[in-house]
Amino acid sequence: MRIVAICFVLLIPVLALGDDPGMSPSIQDVKKQNEAQLLKMAGVVSVGIGLDSKGNQAIIVGLDGSHPETESSIPATLDGFPVVVQTVGSIRAQ
Amino acid sequence: MADDLNRIRSILSTHRRRLLERANVVATGIGYKETAGAKTERLSIVCSVKEKVPAARLSAQEMIPSAVDGTPTDVVQTGIIRALQVPTDRFRPAPGGVSIGHVGITAGTLGCWVIKNGQKVILSNNHVLANSNAAEIGDAILQPGPFDGGRFPQDHIANLTQFVPISFQGEPSECQFANAVISVFNLGCRVISSNTRYQVTKAQAEDNLVDAAIATPLNSADIKDEIFNIGPIQGTVSGELGMSIKKSGRTTGFTTGEIQQVDVSANVQYGAGQVAVFTDQLLAGAMSQGGDSGSAVLDDGNRLTGLLFAGSETTTIINRIENVFSALGISL
Repeated sequence: MRIVAICFVLLIPVLALGDDPGMSPSIQDVKKQNEAQLLKMAGVVSVGIGLDSKGNQAIIVGLDGSHPETESSIPATLDGFPVVVQTVGSIRAQ
Repeated sequence: MADDLNRIRSILSTHRRRLLERANVVATGIGYKETAGAKTERLSIVCSVKEKVPAARLSAQEMIPSAVDGTPTDVVQTGIIRALQVPTDRFRPAPGGVSIGHVGITAGTLGCWVIKNGQKVILSNNHVLANSNAAEIGDAILQPGPFDGGRFPQDHIANLTQFVPISFQGEPSECQFANAVISVFNLGCRVISSNTRYQVTKAQAEDNLVDAAIATPLNSADIKDEIFNIGPIQGTVSGELGMSIKKSGRTTGFTTGEIQQVDVSANVQYGAGQVAVFTDQLLAGAMSQGGDSGSAVLDDGNRLTGLLFAGSETTTIINRIENVFSALGISL
């Protein structure tokens, strides 16, 4: 009985951590929250998760060509994750 | 030696046709005669045959003479000589990686053979086997595809069995309530003699996970359960960032690449200005062109990871195989 009680006490901080509202979102969450908005911008054809030039996980935005206005309005980071803009051309069914 | 060669050339050109007329002969040429498996220094007229047949079983006309105009002959077994096949050719049995298509399209790629309800069926894209939603179940599938000379009925290999409909942006809505409201509106327009009519369209089409379809072969003898220039599939694997991949397709053949992005959402253009949004895709560098759609994508261990369906000058977009399998209820 005492052992069970001790285990329970030990578990409390773990459970509390799981409920911490301040836990930072994953890159998947951040991409999901922003992708509809990004895909509506002129020239944006894809949004995915890849690596930036330093090898860090990044949100990669693909453009079908040169769109200076879109490029300047995409932030360099989203919730702390780097955003990389690439020109990929139009994506067509093959 | 040079004199010898020239003399034999002229003998061969005189007799070549008669030698090639023999049923078993597939090629003639000049080479050093082999005796008991060892090369000699004597030049001979080499007759390549489908198979060596004991002299006792050959008629006098079928027999290759031991010498022609004083030059010895040599008979070697090479088997039937075939032109090397390319993916746009007709294949029976047909492996993955070769040309295929619905009767109403140009051509795409036969991805691979999969199992549906215990039966082997062809897996490829909706826009290859089902003409981008326009086909009817049971429609004829040709191998090679129509653009590569496939014709009905001689190249009819399978019938369309099932496809996952592609949801395009701006297509007419199937929402009954919205359509009912609009039909009242249009009735009003008619009452006031206006020529204007309204139609409900999907402003936000549903997201697509796969561009996929299956077709059932007419004849199980036409199944070759491997991929052209790759070999048999060794199971499945979930695509991950950085994974090395390969495919064998109708247009660019065997190519390799790397998964550069996962969780990809993309606006994909289909012909006639139609756009469809796809989510949970894999993205690789350029490794395909038009006609490669439907190719099976495998990892280094030949495990199936995706179904190729779209791309740009610099990218290739691939459905996750787990999404394809669950959407169609299929397995390997």
